Amino acid sequence: MRPPRRHRWLPAFWLALAFGGWIALVRLEIADLQDAFETDARIAHRLLSQRAVQHDAILATLALLQPPDSPEAGAQRLPALYPQILSVQRRDAGAAWPDAALAAAEAQSRALRRAVLADADFAAGRYRLVRAAQPASFAAQFDLRKLVPWPEWPMDPQRSPVAVRLEQGGQRFTLQPGGDAGGPWSFDFRKHLETDSQPFDVVLQRSVGWAELPWQRMVLWGLLVALLAAAVHWLLRQRAERARAEELLRLGQVARLDALGELAAGMAHELNQPLAAVLASAQAARRLLDEEPADVDTARTAMRQAEEQARRAASVLARLRRGVERPSAAAPLQPVVLQDAVRNALYLLEPEFSKRAVAPQFEAGAEALAVQAEPVALEQIIHNLLTNALQALDQVPPNERQLSVRLQSQAGQGELTVGDSGPGIAPELLPRIFEPFFTTRENGLGLGLSLCETLAANMGGHIGVQARSPRGAAFTLRLPLAA
Amino acid sequence: MNATLSPLIHLVDDDEGVRSSLALLISTVGLRVQDWADPQRFLREFPRGDIGAIVLDVRMPGVSGLTVLDTLLREGVDQPVIMLTGHGTVDMCRRAFKAGAAEFLEKPVDDEVLLEALQQAVRQHVKSRERLAADRAARERYAQLSEREKEVAGLIVEGLTNKEAGRALALSPRTVETHRANLFAKLQAESLAQLIRRYGTVIDEDQAP
Repeated sequence: MRPPRRHRWLPAFWLALAFGGWIALVRLEIADLQDAFETDARIAHRLLSQRAVQHDAILATLALLQPPDSPEAGAQRLPALYPQILSVQRRDAGAAWPDAALAAAEAQSRALRRAVLADADFAAGRYRLVRAAQPASFAAQFDLRKLVPWPEWPMDPQRSPVAVRLEQGGQRFTLQPGGDAGGPWSFDFRKHLETDSQPFDVVLQRSVGWAELPWQRMVLWGLLVALLAAAVHWLLRQRAERARAEELLRLGQVARLDALGELAAGMAHELNQPLAAVLASAQAARRLLDEEPADVDTARTAMRQAEEQARRAASVLARLRRGVERPSAAAPLQPVVLQDAVRNALYLLEPEFSKRAVAPQFEAGAEALAVQAEPVALEQIIHNLLTNALQALDQVPPNERQLSVRLQSQAGQGELTVGDSGPGIAPELLPRIFEPFFTTRENGLGLGLSLCETLAANMGGHIGVQARSPRGAAFTLRLPLAA
Repeated sequence: MNATLSPLIHLVDDDEGVRSSLALLISTVGLRVQDWADPQRFLREFPRGDIGAIVLDVRMPGVSGLTVLDTLLREGVDQPVIMLTGHGTVDMCRRAFKAGAAEFLEKPVDDEVLLEALQQAVRQHVKSRERLAADRAARERYAQLSEREKEVAGLIVEGLTNKEAGRALALSPRTVETHRANLFAKLQAESLAQLIRRYGTVIDEDQAP
């Protein structure tokens, strides 16, 4: 038998399971965050690209629609409509740009037939686009800060942990600062704006900090696994306890058998001596009487010796009986409710019943039946009768197994009948069934029913047996009702 | 040794009832019985020289019947021993036979079996005592031979003729013949066959290297 404290692997089991769960939870969370980040990044990129394309369109429109009458009016109203446009410049044919960058950009624009970036000053937060046209070319200056369409922006610029920047040729402009959480995970997004005129990279970066892990769920999971481990531990301990209890019971039975064997050996020796003497004396007497003439005097001596030794054998038995006499035989009787005693016995034998797929029918009767009994002896009788019935049922197919316990009162006596649908007892054996050492079972000692009868008689009761039709046996215990 | 008395059976058992009943039973076939309650006293006092047998109970307080049996064997007691036991085991039985028990019987024992065993044991004892006595007589006579006669006896027992024996001992066949006649007379043997039967063992023992 191993000691019950043997689940040293349980903490490791808990840790492994908890760890596995935590990793899964963290991975799921990181994947979720990454998904969200990538969605935000795509939206941000699209919004910024739309703005950039819009800028191209504005310049193209200006170039096409050039209002000749009030040349400045249209262009100068643009900053009011588009807050990111700081100013619009116009160069009429023959005029010159204020600086060389614009001139160079115009030449390029003319060649490419689209708006071209003249210069970008990220430190100042602005850049200029030039569109060459006839008769006048236009240049517009944009404010990077106002490039972002905040109402549609997917992130909260103040609190979002995502950093958003525009980059161009080593320059960087931060649209949204984000925050560095300092965790080991980080996501990156970098993509060109979808227009050639503004060759800026949209860069988004985000790091995930320890604080963003799903701590609550992780703690919850840990507790859950701990609960599970505790349950497993409890179950295992329960099972070990039960195994131990069964082992103890078995040991008890073995000890009882050992004691019985010891008793039998001692008894055999004690009885063998006088028996040997009786036999020898009787044989000597026979021989002496066979002689011609018979030696009657010596034969008489031999018979007296035989007599003495037979008495000695009887006294050995009497001594033995006094030695093993049950003290409980003299225990005081008290009122015991039969229903309770039967329920208790059925409860104790429940595992045996379920093992054999037998559902006992208990006809308890309407009112409580109290008999004069010694509780332990009564319990032993009921237990014995039920066990006998169960063992009889082992010999019939499971679907034919019936066991009933019926209680009734009859002529001042409480009657308890245990009936089974087993093979029954042969009619010629019925009268002998309560004899000591009489058994119908292969390994039976033949003491159970004899003991039951003795116990019942000690309580002023009686046990009887009848055959049951179509087959089986019914044992009835009758005990005087309690006054 | 007094051959006129009938054989004496020693009955060793601590149980008085068993002892007296068995003694009575044994006496019905004309055997004398002496019973002993104490095995120690039995070992000290019982007469070694008598013809008879010993009936020994296995289970006795103080000393086991098997121990008594061992002691008897060590002392070279030649009375046959019959063991009696209340509940014998194969192991106990094996030990008893190894220690030289003649029989091993279980109590309660059937009279026919016990008495037959006792009579058989006594017959065997008588026979072995006779054989012993004959053996002793043969040795005494053999001791009277001269060295030369002993040599001649050894050779003719081996089957050599007078001539061959003479050659082996550097004697004339005639001299051998004289020695031969003398030794036959001293040993009271009438034929070569008788000589070999009675003295073969003694001569072999004497001339063994």
